[in-house]
Amino acid sequence: MTTLLVLALSLPCVYVAPSADGAASLAAAGITRVCTEADLAKREPLATPGTAPRPGLASPTRAPWVVANGWRFLRQPRAKYVYDLPVGKALLALAEAFAYEVDAALKIDPADARSLGEMWKVLAALPSVDLPVVSDFAVVDDGSAATGEVMNLLARRNLLFEVVQAASPRHRLNIRIGTPEYPREEAADPSAFALKIRRQLTDDQRTLRVYGSEVVICRLTAAANRARLHLINYGGREIEGLRIRLRGAYTGSDARVAGVGVLALQDRVVTGGTTEFSLPRLTTYAVIDLQSVR
Amino acid sequence: MRRRSFVRLLSAASVVRPFQNRSDTPTLRVVSKYSPSATPGMPGPYPGRVISIRSDRSVDTATGAADAAVVHDMLAQGMRALTGAATTADAWRRFFAPSDIVGIKVNCGGYPHCVSAYEIVADVVGQLTGIGVPVSHIYVYERFQSQLDEVNYAPHLPGGVQIVAAERENRNVDNSGYDPATYLEADFFGEEDTRSNMMRLVSRLLTKIINIPNVKDHGATGATGCLKNIAYGSFSNVARTHQRGTSYTYSMVGALAAMEPLRSRTVLQILDGLRGVWHGGPFARTTRYVFYPRQIMLGTDPVAIDRLLLDIIDKERRAHGAISIWDRSPDSLRVDDTRARDADPNVNIIIREPGHVEYAATLGLGVYDRARIQVQELTV
Repeated sequence: MTTLLVLALSLPCVYVAPSADGAASLAAAGITRVCTEADLAKREPLATPGTAPRPGLASPTRAPWVVANGWRFLRQPRAKYVYDLPVGKALLALAEAFAYEVDAALKIDPADARSLGEMWKVLAALPSVDLPVVSDFAVVDDGSAATGEVMNLLARRNLLFEVVQAASPRHRLNIRIGTPEYPREEAADPSAFALKIRRQLTDDQRTLRVYGSEVVICRLTAAANRARLHLINYGGREIEGLRIRLRGAYTGSDARVAGVGVLALQDRVVTGGTTEFSLPRLTTYAVIDLQSVR
Repeated sequence: MRRRSFVRLLSAASVVRPFQNRSDTPTLRVVSKYSPSATPGMPGPYPGRVISIRSDRSVDTATGAADAAVVHDMLAQGMRALTGAATTADAWRRFFAPSDIVGIKVNCGGYPHCVSAYEIVADVVGQLTGIGVPVSHIYVYERFQSQLDEVNYAPHLPGGVQIVAAERENRNVDNSGYDPATYLEADFFGEEDTRSNMMRLVSRLLTKIINIPNVKDHGATGATGCLKNIAYGSFSNVARTHQRGTSYTYSMVGALAAMEPLRSRTVLQILDGLRGVWHGGPFARTTRYVFYPRQIMLGTDPVAIDRLLLDIIDKERRAHGAISIWDRSPDSLRVDDTRARDADPNVNIIIREPGHVEYAATLGLGVYDRARIQVQELTV
């Protein structure tokens, strides 16, 4: 019963504008958490996830500008959110909200109801896990827009951080903007600032690395004996052969890929205290459960 | 005197300068389980030796059309000259056996005006099958299938030749054609994906590779010949090395070319200079910067051939009053302004790194010193 409750809570509620077939389309799609107008009130609006052209800041094919809300979820995990989504964006929003386990409402175009329902069933069927979020360093949140934008860039680069209110003794690296080490002027260029933190952390020490795409953002939860990795593809195109590196030794043979099913992980290697594997296909979302090797 | 000025002056005077490795080369980490062969294909059995075959009849410069029969003679004479073999077939047998699985690395980036010539590729396939290599063992390859589709070699080749690419198109979504265990890792600009993986075809299937680049200018490397074609055409995620005015191709090109098993398996270099591009490369979407060297260079040493290529490109640029490929002046640089670059041959969008050829020599890939390169000139 508890499990069902957790699962139900981790899936957002869905709203379609009132129309002759709006509610019917959700019911037909098997979407069981339907929002009312009242549910949408007093929620924080989110950006439509995906990629966007940003001349001079991003490369259209190699490293597009990613619009993602993960940093906001990390900053305010207990807030209530709402997406107002154009057609074609519902799956990505569902994946994002589910991966970060936030209370979100999705206002969707009825045309997306069917595909959303298919993904909904996949997510609802996932075995529930309750694992702590993995982080490599901490960001002391002063509530400023500058710190928020730095979090945005850190999250987009799969630099795993924990948002704290005061420096955390659990981490070697605590980022507090406005200190001599992290001056506010540097944070004015959040991309360069994120890179500075990455260099301080070093790539070797990063718990998670993603190779083969600049538009996949991951969320990793883990305990002593197991881990769950969520992969969200913001690029709008299916990705083949994405390579993942995790610090630590893990077993795990497959991934659940939205719209595809269960796929075997490929070219798995455990060496030098790290585990690497390739995911043959990544649609909008995939989840991989791993077991630690002692 | 600043080093940039120093290099430019020496180039203008055509003086051989002592090699100085640079302090700004990034750390490159090579991961490969493959060992070199007893005689790696690069520089192979003929270091410092280049056969240059010219024919005014090879291309009709009015139409751009090549003459297959003349090209056949150029290659045949060139191969015999390179090897000293009595017959053309024997020359090819020096490199290939019927049991080999042979890759032909073409260059399709200069479509439609300057790609690896159909006539050369077809003749190479004909020579291979002539010495007993099954057509099913011959792979014409590029990185992007979309480029191969544009060029469309199939009608020019026997049925059964494999025409394959690692990725469907240049979209950075298709990694399955690359070997996750064979890669070079480097962080150039802070990009997240720091790996360039070798094509699976190269690492896991081919036993020999023939490299057929073009005579082309290149905005990031100065010129794209043997080294650039085999290196950047056999690995993923390489465009990340040059952006925002800066090129890290100086060390990257040679480092990739030197990686095993690519280095050992690339046994023959055929620089297609029937047509050329003296500016705006590696692309050739208009004929404005196309010229006709009507020349093929053969050898096993990619550095020696590319050393000559640098002079060919620079000479043609000088003939048109354009800045040298060695120009590093900030005055010539208009970062990312491809429109300006395409309109004006005195505009660079990136500071070029023709020094990548000399750097490759320091990795043992061949001979850079012009005085030590033996060129045998043939005319057909």
